[in-house]
Parts: sequence; C-alpha cells; structure tokens
Amino acid sequence: MSEAKIIENLKEAIIELDEVKVVEAAKNLIDQGIDPLVAIEKGLSAGMTAIGDKFNIGECFLPELIRAGNTFNAGIKVLEPEIAKSGAKQSQTGVFVLGTVTGDVHKIGKEILAMLLKTRGFVVHDLGEDVSLSTFVSKAEELNADIIGMSALLTTTMPAQKEVIEFLKEKGIRDNFRVMIGGGPVNQKWADEIGADGYAETAEEAVRLAMKLMDTK
Amino acid sequence: MLNFYEVFYRFLEGPHISEMDYDLDFDQKLRDTVTKYGIKYDPQNPIPQDDQMADNVFAAGLEFYEKIGTYCIDTLRVATFTKREILEALAEAPSEPVFGTDKDAKKLIARPPESDLPPWFFIGAAGAAVTDERVLAAIVEGYGQVPYGNSITTPSITKINGRPIIAKTPLEVLGSIRTVEVSKAALRKAGRAGMPIMNAISTATSDAAKIAGSQFGLNPADGIMVGSMSELKMDFQRLNEVAYALHCGSNIVAESGPLLGGYCGGPEGLAVANVAYHLQSILVQRGTVHFTFPIHFKFSSNTSRNTLWSTSISNQGISRNSKFPLLTSGILASGPGTEMSFYENAARTITTCVSGGGILALGLAKNVQTDHLTPWDPKFSVEIALSTLGMKRQDANEIVKELLSKYESKIPEAPIGKRFQELFDMETLEPGNEYRELYYKMKDEMKTYGLKFAT
Ligand code: B12
Repeated sequence: MSEAKIIENLKEAIIELDEVKVVEAAKNLIDQGIDPLVAIEKGLSAGMTAIGDKFNIGECFLPELIRAGNTFNAGIKVLEPEIAKSGAKQSQTGVFVLGTVTGDVHKIGKEILAMLLKTRGFVVHDLGEDVSLSTFVSKAEELNADIIGMSALLTTTMPAQKEVIEFLKEKGIRDNFRVMIGGGPVNQKWADEIGADGYAETAEEAVRLAMKLMDTK
Repeated sequence: MLNFYEVFYRFLEGPHISEMDYDLDFDQKLRDTVTKYGIKYDPQNPIPQDDQMADNVFAAGLEFYEKIGTYCIDTLRVATFTKREILEALAEAPSEPVFGTDKDAKKLIARPPESDLPPWFFIGAAGAAVTDERVLAAIVEGYGQVPYGNSITTPSITKINGRPIIAKTPLEVLGSIRTVEVSKAALRKAGRAGMPIMNAISTATSDAAKIAGSQFGLNPADGIMVGSMSELKMDFQRLNEVAYALHCGSNIVAESGPLLGGYCGGPEGLAVANVAYHLQSILVQRGTVHFTFPIHFKFSSNTSRNTLWSTSISNQGISRNSKFPLLTSGILASGPGTEMSFYENAARTITTCVSGGGILALGLAKNVQTDHLTPWDPKFSVEIALSTLGMKRQDANEIVKELLSKYESKIPEAPIGKRFQELFDMETLEPGNEYRELYYKMKDEMKTYGLKFAT
C-alpha cells in the first residue's frame, strides 16, 4: 500500500470513528517504515480537524468527538514506541489544563471544549468538575501547562475563577500560564476585572482564542 | 413500586463502569433505540401530529431506560430496573398531587395533548440570578400577582450584605435561607400566602444549603426540587436531598435538563432521553411531578426549531402514556423588553401547551444575565397559553412556523434586552411605558395569527 493511502486510511479511521481500522493502519505504517510524525500530522491530526469542523457545522455531536478522541489515542498508542525510538518529538499545539471550578458540577460545556481543543492538537488534561483551587494550581504546575481553563456556570461560582488567578499571582507564577475563563454567566468584563487572559462565549471561539494565546507565549 | 432504599442499594451494589464508558453506552443505546423505533425529525413541522410516532417515542424511552439505567458518579455504579419495575412505578406514580396550602392549594394533574383544560402555570425564571434581596422581593411579589399562576420558582440572589455569595461557603447557606424567608414574605404581600414555591432554592448548590433553606418557611406542600445530572446521573448529594424530602413528606419536583447536541445527539435522541428522564424521575428522584427543560447546546435556550420539535413529540408521548404530571420550561435566547422575546415566548408556549403537560414560564436571555427577568413575561405566556386551549396541533403548528420565521435566524445573536430595574418601577411593580407599549403591541400582533384573548 502506498504511503499516501496509509495516511489517508488513518485520517478516514478517525472520521469513521473506527478503532480497529486505525490500529491496522498504524501497524501497516510501521511495517512500511513511514515516518510516524508525518503520519500523525497528515493522518490522525487531519482526521481530528475534520471531525472538529463537522461538529462546528452541526453535522455531529459530543459523542462523536469523544469517540474520535479515543480512536486518535488508539492510533497514537501503536505509534508511540516508534516515535520514542527515533527520538523525535511529537508536535503539539499546547498543554491545556481544564476544569469546572469548585462548587460547580456543570460538565458538558467544558467537555465539548476539551474535545474541540483535542481536535486542534492540544494535549488536554480535564480535571473534571468541582475542581478545587489547589488542584488547579498543582496540576498546572505538575503538567507544565501552557493554558489553564476554568469553566463556571453559576454566578456564585465565578468568584472561584478570580481566586485561582489571585493565588497564582501570590505564588509568583501567574506569568507561567495563560488563563482562560468561560461558562454561561461569565463575560469579557469579568475577565478584564479579574485579570484573565481571555474569555470566549462558545467552545469554538475558545479554541481560536487558545491558539492565539499560544502565539503570545 | 420499588422503595427508595432498594433503589439506593442498587447504586451501592450495581455493576461498576467508568463514567466515560457509561456516557458512550448511553449514546450507542440511544442511537440504536431511535433507529429501531424509526423516529425521525421533521423540520417542516415543529409540532408533529402523528400519534403513533408520539407513542413510539414513549415506548423507545421506556426500552432505553430499561437498558441504560441511572449512573451514580460517587460509586461509579449503574442502577438498572427491569421493565416490570419501571411499569409498576409508572402505574403507581403520583397522579394528582396537591401543591400549595389553604386557598392556594391545588391539584396538579397530567394534561393530554390538545387539552382544553388550562395547564399548570409554574411562574418564574428557573433559578436565574438577581442581584440581591431587594430585587428578589420585588420579582417574587410580581410573580405572585401573575393571573392564574399556580406556583413559583424563586430566582437566585447573588449578593448578601452587598458582597458576592460564594458557592459552598456559609454565605451560600445564609443566602439560601434568606431566599426562602424573603420569598415567602413577598408572596404574602401579593395575597398569595399559600402559593407553593416549587424550586430548589436556586442559590443553593449544595444539599446542605438547600436543606438549611427549607427549614425557614418551606412546608411539604411546597416542593423541593431535586435535579438529575446530565445525562441520567445522580450523586450522593442529590440522593441526600431525596432522602430528606421523603422523610419530611415533602413534594419533590424531579428536574431534568437533557441537552441537544450533547450525549443525546440530535432532536430524536433528545425526545427519547426526555422520556427516560420521566421514568427516572419517578423511580430514582421519587418525584411528585417531573419538571424538564430540554435545551440546545449552542444557544442555551429551547426555542430553536429542533428543540421545539423534540419537546413537542416527547411531551405528546409522555402525556398520552403517563398520568404522572409533567411540567416543561421555556428558556428564551433573547432578553426582556425585546420584540424577539415575545415571538420566542409565544412559539415556546404554544408548542408546550398543545403538546401536553404544564408550563414553566419563563427564562429569558438564556437565564444567564443577572436581573434579566420580569413578571410580565410569564404573564404573556399565561395569556398565550389560555388562547390555545383546545387548539389542534395542526393549527398550532402553522402559527409556530410563522413565529419561527420572525426569530429563528436571530437566535445565535439574540439581544439580551434590559434589566428588570430598567424596565419596571421597583416600588409599584408596574412596567414603564417602553415595556408596556411593546407588550400590548405584541399582544395585538398575536391576534393577527389567529390567537384569541379574553381582553
Ligand atoms: C444542564 C444544567 C444543569 C445540570 C448540569 C448537569 C451536568 N453535569 O452538566 C444540573 C441539573 C446538575 C444543574 C444543576 C444546577 N444548576 Co444548572 N443548568 C444547566 C443548563 C440548563 C445547561 C448547561 C449546559 O450544559 N449548557 C450547554 C453547554 C454546551 O453550554 P455551556 O456549559 O455554557 O458551555 C459553552 C460555553 O459556555 C463555553 N465554555 C464552557 N466552559 C468554558 C470554559 C472556558 C475556559 C471557555 C473559554 C469557554 C467555556 O463553551 C461551551 C460550548 O460552547 C444551564 C442553562 C444555561 N443557560 O446554560 C443551567 C444553569 C447554568 N444552572 C443554573 C442553576 C441555578 C443550577 C443549580 C444551582 C440549581 C439548583 N439549585 O440545584 C444547580 C447547581 C449544581 C452545581 N453545584 O453546580 C443556572 C445558573 C444561574 C446563574 N446565573 O447562576 C442556569 C443558568 C439555568 C437556570 N437558571 O437554572 N444544571
């Protein structure tokens, strides 16, 4: 099978949410000695971008994003040992640590954002819901995050976003991270007031903003 | 019906499964059921008129719930129920619960599609934020004055002593208590002392704050609202609320908010999942009534064509097959004092009314802007609802299509409108000229679509 065909298969496997096909294509690729980094970029990542685009125009929904993410991971798992052998580094858009703030259990908006970020090459660590101040900060440090994202859907949990930013400042590590905030009642005015680097109303805009913030790092 | 202990033990003893696996299983089984029952979204008809399909949606929801069960995020286990257990619960579910006390006490009964009985009017913006106690008192008094109102939901205060309330802190406990105290006093002032408060004390995010609040003036004939988490999930905090409410003999308003575009997928899945919630709300949330608000994931509102269709077919299916009462909420994309809000309000109200059940009126500006609510928006919903009594789905469908053409394309950029304080006099609770003129202009326009009003 030609290199182009194998890469095309990888991309298709993601779009078709087919874990069996992705593993097969990835093994095929190794057998033929094709550069795994090129395959990731032109195959797996391109497939993820295509799924993200489909979501944005309403052709698929959250479950497809999650399945695409799982398919992507299945492919990467096969390729990882090869990449390690070659010593090359897999390119990534950035490391994003994301969670819903303490006291708040709203989950789905944050989950959509996590998945869309993955379709654009971010490595996303979803800390879940009701995430404490200390977890946000310790995880961001431990994982060497580029961006911290905080979701708050309640007016009474928005203060938790401010608290995280103030804590980062007091620890003297505010400038190590870009901080993004979002969720229903949050707006640009609040973002300015608490000194966040960015706010976005929708997950789609949030992804664009995250890419922009990466350029400023 | 299985008792609550037995249900709870299943959360302690059911099979373990990771949350993501449950979510994906939910998606797969829902898709399979939708396909099996041949349920198909029809954008041409936001109010479908096919009884067979409505019954299929109900049957699909029952089969789906039997297959998927409810997930507990604290134990990572699933509680499932057999078909027999679900059918028994449905047969034995409350059918004529009484809410409210004294002269404000009333039976809440299930209402079939195209019914000529007035729906139950649950007045309020379902937990929308208001600044403080002063705005809360004015709004609730205004709600108490809405003609034909049967019960209210209080907004959430977000400040106490001039400072922001922070979730999970003592400020939230105090805010929750004050919400009840202020609201009960305001209803008394409106002459509706026994009008039931049927919400969760929306300032309360925790079980502790909710229970604390309920000690200061709520009685069992009000209702403690217990929400399900999305989708079909519970946690101990919510189950604690159930345990507490059952022990005080309190009415329980079992809430669900299934999301179009999330794990439910498209409008067909949303309709079927909503039926599953109806069943969960009897068995797990131990509801006295099921209160649901299907919502669109991008617009955070439920007036888009696909959410209307989904609400309609699902309400028809539920109301034709269950005597456990159902209330459905409207959440508009646009805010108070805008023309668009009247179009959205009318479309949403007509759709829910002719499809069966009672209505909650009304969330505005996606329910996320502070103080963006008025007592006259629900008043408009009531007027619209009463003008649709006995209306055929086919006729309602034509009107809703016309209304959709007025606002549909504007949903993504909906105007947020103005704050209550800007539109109304906070002392007299009367609207200013701007709002009043718009109200009557829009009411007149509604007459041109064939709606008939008493005045
Ligand atoms: C579903 C829902 C629930 C479910 C949540 C289930 C779950 N596990 O997710 C349940 C029933 C549990 C629930 C509970 C409550 N809820 Co609620 N809930 C909602 C509802 C209807 C939809 C939320 C949703 O999923 N929207 C769809 C997603 C896709 O949109 P989204 O979350 O806004 O996310 C988008 C953007 O905001 C953005 N985004 C999200 N996160 C981030 C983060 C970053 C960094 C960025 C850049 C962008 C971004 O991207 C997303 C995709 O575009 C909203 C209504 C609304 N208008 O939003 C109310 C709402 C948020 N809830 C509300 C309330 C009051 C509550 C309760 C307090 C009620 C109560 N007293 O029990 C509890 C609180 C529980 C708690 N401790 O958190 C109010 C909040 C009012 C306010 N201003 O404070 C709302 C607005 C509605 C209402 N009035 O009832 N809720």
